[in-house]
Amino acid sequence: MGFTVETMRFEGPLDLMLHLIHEKELDIFDLDMEVLTDQYIKYLHEMENLQLEVESEYLVELASLIEYKSKKLLPKPQEDLNDEYEEDPKDRLVKRLLEYQKYKEVSSLLYENYLDRQDQLSKPVSYEQVVKNSSFEDQKLEGNPYDLLKAMSKVLRRIQLSKPFETKLAAKEISTEDRILQIKARLIDLPETFNFDTLLDDCRSLHECIVTFLAVLDMAKDHFLIFTIDNEDKIWFKRGLEHD
Amino acid sequence: MTNLEEYIVGYEMSKEEIEAFDNNPSLVTKVEKIKRQEVAEPGNIEAIVEGLLYIVGDDGVKLEQLALTIDRSLEDTEVILQNIQNKYASEIYGIELVAYGKNYKFISKKEIYPYAQELFHTVKQNTLSQSALETLAIIAYKQPITRIEIEELRGVGADMMLRKLLARNLIKEAGRSDAPGRPILYEVTDEFMDSFKLYTLNELPDLPEYNSDEENENLFE
Repeated sequence: MGFTVETMRFEGPLDLMLHLIHEKELDIFDLDMEVLTDQYIKYLHEMENLQLEVESEYLVELASLIEYKSKKLLPKPQEDLNDEYEEDPKDRLVKRLLEYQKYKEVSSLLYENYLDRQDQLSKPVSYEQVVKNSSFEDQKLEGNPYDLLKAMSKVLRRIQLSKPFETKLAAKEISTEDRILQIKARLIDLPETFNFDTLLDDCRSLHECIVTFLAVLDMAKDHFLIFTIDNEDKIWFKRGLEHD
Repeated sequence: MTNLEEYIVGYEMSKEEIEAFDNNPSLVTKVEKIKRQEVAEPGNIEAIVEGLLYIVGDDGVKLEQLALTIDRSLEDTEVILQNIQNKYASEIYGIELVAYGKNYKFISKKEIYPYAQELFHTVKQNTLSQSALETLAIIAYKQPITRIEIEELRGVGADMMLRKLLARNLIKEAGRSDAPGRPILYEVTDEFMDSFKLYTLNELPDLPEYNSDEENENLFE
């Protein structure tokens, strides 16, 4: 086999660095920038090998990692004590990583709440209230596509709530034989002559329409129904000889 | 019975007086209020609030709005709501009163959910991506906050994510910062508070503290 594709999803360069630090068991408070940079580059190469697009954010952080590395290689210029103090880029990175890690951790806590809350439902506001609060003229006609998106999802949700039982319409396949029986049962209530559209009244899918058509073909073959087609291409039926 | 009430009940007004009365809005509201108070005996004011809460449904209602509606003080209204909340906390009821984001509404209890799934045949739950969660967390803890600050914290662009969160009504714009370019500030919404079961932002879990000194206390020493 020898076919292993590991798709790790990272939320960004900081997430990736945290992962690398964890994986290589680096001490975040005494960060070995060399190892981190090497691993980081290695990962980006792998991403490219997998034909994955490396997002620009990763490259920005890569640039600062390499900048740090190259600065270390160059001889240090004479430090002027009067120079404005500049934060060590390494300390800055560590600070950012720690800060990011906080929110990453806390977000999973929050997510538990989020999922929990969805187990509890409420009913939509009563209709009277909706009517009263929604006089169209009062509202400014402005908005952007995202407002529309928001409004549409609200509409869909209301529809979903108002017709909960229709969400389950299992596609039930019916056989031609069964359909013939159904039609025969309906014939009693139908007038002497009727057209094909009437028979399609209770069809909810293309499949059912086709089965209905096959059924009337069979019934015509057995002389149970007599059909004619008018000049508007409508199919009309009349009851034929009733032999059973 | 108050004096005014006696006056209304026991006195037959002349035509002029009726006109004068009708043209005096303050008197009319006073009478209206008395009428309302007659209905709202201490025993059934809770029933009225309960009914209102039922009507507002998932929109919910704010304490202030409710107090105004039933013409009681904020404190009184809060007590009434507290009573209802306590009442529905009992396991004999299938709904409960919550006030996430200080918005009062009835929601079904957790235990009902499996049956609701059975009834509606829906198992679809809303999900939030990790990046959405992180962005929300940052906004909730640091609000009001600009896009640039969020991007700095997460190390990735936040433009699309902010639009999505705005569309989902989980965040809102909250004015502009004084920083150069006057960037837009973002805050979480009541909808966010509701979705994350928070009464106030103070309830957010404490951010973990990473302290280098503690971490360096070597276990092997």
